[in-house]
Amino acid sequence: MAEKTIRGKIWMLTGTDGNLIEDIDTDQIYHNAFLHITDISQMGAYALGNLEGWKDFSRKASAGDFVVAGRNFGAGSSRQQAVDCFLALGISLILAPSFGAIYFRNAVNSGFPVIKCPALKDFVASQQLKTGDILYINLKTGEARNEIRDTLFSVEPMSRVQEEIYDAGGLFLYGKSGNRGK
Amino acid sequence: MGKTFSEKILGRKAGLEVRAGEVVTVSPDYILSHDNTAAIIKEFEKLDISNVACPEKLVIILDHVVPASAEKYAQNHKSIREFVEEQGIPHFYDVNNGICHQVFSEEGFARPGGLILGADSHTTSYGAFGAFSAGIGRSEVASIWATNEIWLRVPETIKIELKGILQPGVFPKDVILKIIGREGADRATYMAVEFGGEAAKNFSMSSRLTLANMAAEMGAKNGYFQADDVTLSWFEGKETENFEIFVSDDDAGFSDILPYDLSSVVPQIACPHTVDNVRPVKEVEGLVFHQGLIGTCTNGRLDDLKQAAAVLKDKRVHPKVRVLVVPASQNIYLEAVKEGVMETLAAAGCLILNPGCGPCLGAHQGILAPGERALSTANRNFRGRMGSRESEIYLASPATVAASAIEGKITDPRKYL
Repeated sequence: MAEKTIRGKIWMLTGTDGNLIEDIDTDQIYHNAFLHITDISQMGAYALGNLEGWKDFSRKASAGDFVVAGRNFGAGSSRQQAVDCFLALGISLILAPSFGAIYFRNAVNSGFPVIKCPALKDFVASQQLKTGDILYINLKTGEARNEIRDTLFSVEPMSRVQEEIYDAGGLFLYGKSGNRGK
Repeated sequence: MGKTFSEKILGRKAGLEVRAGEVVTVSPDYILSHDNTAAIIKEFEKLDISNVACPEKLVIILDHVVPASAEKYAQNHKSIREFVEEQGIPHFYDVNNGICHQVFSEEGFARPGGLILGADSHTTSYGAFGAFSAGIGRSEVASIWATNEIWLRVPETIKIELKGILQPGVFPKDVILKIIGREGADRATYMAVEFGGEAAKNFSMSSRLTLANMAAEMGAKNGYFQADDVTLSWFEGKETENFEIFVSDDDAGFSDILPYDLSSVVPQIACPHTVDNVRPVKEVEGLVFHQGLIGTCTNGRLDDLKQAAAVLKDKRVHPKVRVLVVPASQNIYLEAVKEGVMETLAAAGCLILNPGCGPCLGAHQGILAPGERALSTANRNFRGRMGSRESEIYLASPATVAASAIEGKITDPRKYL
């Protein structure tokens, strides 16, 4: 069974105006020019490589870090490289108010925690979240704590199917686990 | 309360009574993949299973970078051909066929009542035929190859109620751009979009493909027209086994019903760098651009090429603009040649490329340099998609691209009627 509470240092994907960037599409997360790469371990270097101000993300991020983004993160293409590039870097969670539908499924099916937090904008506006803060998130209950600022907030807990796939360690193992459709 | 199209079709496939929000396990009729099949094969190999469960359900169509423009693409194509051979996959279409969504449709895999999943976000296209059709990712496809089943969440439905008649010079592309511009790029995230209303019957299959294709740009899980006489006449003389027509009940629980009056729509254009940044063409008229693209899974069909040819007949493309024409399939290419459409376009100075995705996804055939601006009939204008991230992409109808190509700047096509 995978960890239900995870902890990590956050990267706030903000633009020049200090707000979280919205509608970060799959072309900005992982550009077309590298779609021929089929080995996941080689994809990390290109994560956010086409997002203004964040081209050096792969060199700054460390394994275990969280990514925090604006509304509709991962809109666009079905390319799974846009999820895999974060897995390759060891990013352990992505938090956003909403996600592109296929992006969300790809992440869920990879057993990668993508967590929705509709009120995220408010926490950013009130400066309750900043790059470098450490968050604790309980994926099952949705309880979240900012360890640096000692503040509590809530995120959407994982749905049942998301949690089952996460526990199984990915879609294929979930299919074999006998949990499915219970 | 009645049921929506998606509740009915997924319920039938799951063998259950289902409602929006529930998660079902289903077995798709067909699973589409393209050049990304190479990456899916890698995922499949990790599962440690020697054979694909149902090879006849796989439809593999090479279209993204065809023919291969570099060794890395050639290697991927080669590994796909070898896999097809090893696994005995009957439905394989090599580099000489066209864009997956067009070829898949022409070959009759998209049928009313079908359940189609594909490793491409524009798999929503087959909703044009009254199928439930959605894009999924690479691991999911590998898993379906292995197990012949997948989980799906039954989507809520937004109904677009179309009424009225389009004015001359205004096309289905303008309609879908208008809808996306007003509703926003994430309006339909995880949801189904039903294109209905009294005017739906006036939409040809080609137009329906344009709208269903771009439902993906509202974030939709699936977008569809319910099968009707237009659909049935498309299938005349073709295989009609496994047809089942699903229609939303009048009292189905729609999340929203959004009326659109077609008679008030004017030519639209999506400005950089999001598809929902839409304005009337009039508002950006006069903006110079460098490359025009007429083609793609959104607007590369015969009627689209004819629209462009009607505008460009006996005219010349502006000397400072290059126009690339990419027919969506080899069949369309042939038809367009027979009907003289290609002659008109070539005589006007357009560069005709082989059927495929062409420059739409920025991998080959017409990459943009920094500072360049493209005007395209495609479905996406994300920053850097067609090349340099310092380039810009505008999206419009084939007629708008053709009229603008003559003038060398963005132009409302109605002056060329």
